[in-house]
Amino acid sequence: MSKYFANIYDTVNTLWTGMRITWRHMMNIKRDNVTLQYPEERWPRPERNIGFEHEDYNVIRSRLHVDIDDCIGCLKCERACPVDCIKIDTIKAPTRGEDIPDVKHTGETSNGTKKAMVVSRFTIDMSECCYCNLCTYPCPEECIFMVGGPNSSKHPIDYEFSEFDRTDLIYQFAKKLSPEQKDGLQNPKPEAEA
Amino acid sequence: MGVVKGDQMILNIGPQHPSTHGVLRLEVMTDGEIVSEIRPHLGYLHRCFEKHSENVTYEQVIPFTDRCDYLAAMNSNFGYVVAMEELMEIKVPERVDYIRIIMGELNRIASHLLALGVYGLDIGAFTPFLYMLRDRERILDMFEYTCGARLLYNYMWVGGVSHDLPKDFEKICIGFLDYFEPQIEEYNNLLTYNKIFVERTADVGVIPADVAVSYGVTGPNLRGSGVKWDVRKDEPYSIYDRFEFDVPVGDGHFGTLGDCFDRYWVRMLEIKESVKILRQALKDIPGGDVHQMLPKKIRPPKGSVYRRTESPRGDLGYYIMSDGTPTPYRVKMRSPAFTALSVLDEVSRGWMISDVIAILGSLDIVLGEIDR
Repeated sequence: MSKYFANIYDTVNTLWTGMRITWRHMMNIKRDNVTLQYPEERWPRPERNIGFEHEDYNVIRSRLHVDIDDCIGCLKCERACPVDCIKIDTIKAPTRGEDIPDVKHTGETSNGTKKAMVVSRFTIDMSECCYCNLCTYPCPEECIFMVGGPNSSKHPIDYEFSEFDRTDLIYQFAKKLSPEQKDGLQNPKPEAEA
Repeated sequence: MGVVKGDQMILNIGPQHPSTHGVLRLEVMTDGEIVSEIRPHLGYLHRCFEKHSENVTYEQVIPFTDRCDYLAAMNSNFGYVVAMEELMEIKVPERVDYIRIIMGELNRIASHLLALGVYGLDIGAFTPFLYMLRDRERILDMFEYTCGARLLYNYMWVGGVSHDLPKDFEKICIGFLDYFEPQIEEYNNLLTYNKIFVERTADVGVIPADVAVSYGVTGPNLRGSGVKWDVRKDEPYSIYDRFEFDVPVGDGHFGTLGDCFDRYWVRMLEIKESVKILRQALKDIPGGDVHQMLPKKIRPPKGSVYRRTESPRGDLGYYIMSDGTPTPYRVKMRSPAFTALSVLDEVSRGWMISDVIAILGSLDIVLGEIDR
């Protein structure tokens, strides 16, 4: 019988302890800690991300972006990708390091490397990407990177890149080449005729 | 007179059940409300980790190890890279060892916080779950600060780590620990000593030590049964032998040795030990370069290695076989959660259906790791 009452006493006592803690937290709640109805209303994009300084990030894992003018078509990122979401096609340029205005190809990267390849296709399927960041390290020109964070000077952060169609998540970075342009690059006309 | 047997009823728990911690289907044979047998059905999350590893290079395996135990991805990475370094006979710089241990212990705290919070949620206590996830969030913020990712890090690489710690990481981490240590007492007052919680867990689902050993149960589940076995202490890998910490074991605090409460309690004590390790590691972390031992191309010599490490769920082993090419010949992962699930049938026989949820929650399984 005494055990019965001791049990009840224990229960009430420990519950009271717990309720006191919850009550204290309820009193200390911040007034603006409420859920927003997300797509209709949203928080303003924060200046600082998670309480730490924005510039101090080592890296941020967001959307992949490619500065295609700097890409030399070395395929290193394609090989590094564990899920094969990067797909690159290249065509050999007629002369190394020369601009081809016809297909908007610049001959030199911003680091001064002469490009030997014209990148005819550079697609990243962000729906397959596993955000492992492995592709950004081997890049010799540092032209593939994840947007935002330490790279925000190159490209602002892209928090939400949701689309209605899955195919819209396949990002095309290379300039579109028409079949004639491709053909012209693959079989250059002899100079003597022109 | 023979034993009168009632009609058997088969009850399906899962695959989409919140307390199965993933996608697990339990086929529960019940006699009235008493469980007579449990058949777990696995494989809903099978992603061919082991076969897939044979087609990618050694460094590309690491993102896949993240996705096995997704609640403690740092520890999954840790096991793999330690095994690889043993195979390649690489000695990493001291700073890398310290960073790995800091990250591993932080992730152990995060994983245990989720395990304890969700356990409370399974039993019916909602508030502790919110508080524990709030604190886990701070750890994830620190991970995001360091390596950009919150859950699947790909942080530890063979021969180093992907990024050095940010410059004021030590200060932030110490600040977190100072904030966090009093919180443990609050969790205890809120959940651990709560009479209703104790009544639900104490004396329920007892795993005797010999049963636990014979099933190969490891980690907090084994220590909850009173067996003092911790890979960090008994077979130290990396530099765990330099730190002073205790291995908490269950002592039948409110009931029998090896019951659900003991397994819960061991996890709570382990968080305190992790805080202890973190303080020591943050105090004497040396400077240096974290990238100097990164091999240009990972091509281990022919041979094989088996290395086990202590993940938050127990004894996580990697068996890696190399044939001298850049892709592994075989990667086998020994999952601690798998053995923990295998003991469920024997333990929960004779208990009620509602106790099965309490037992399953106390085992702290992660289905991503079981199915791989």
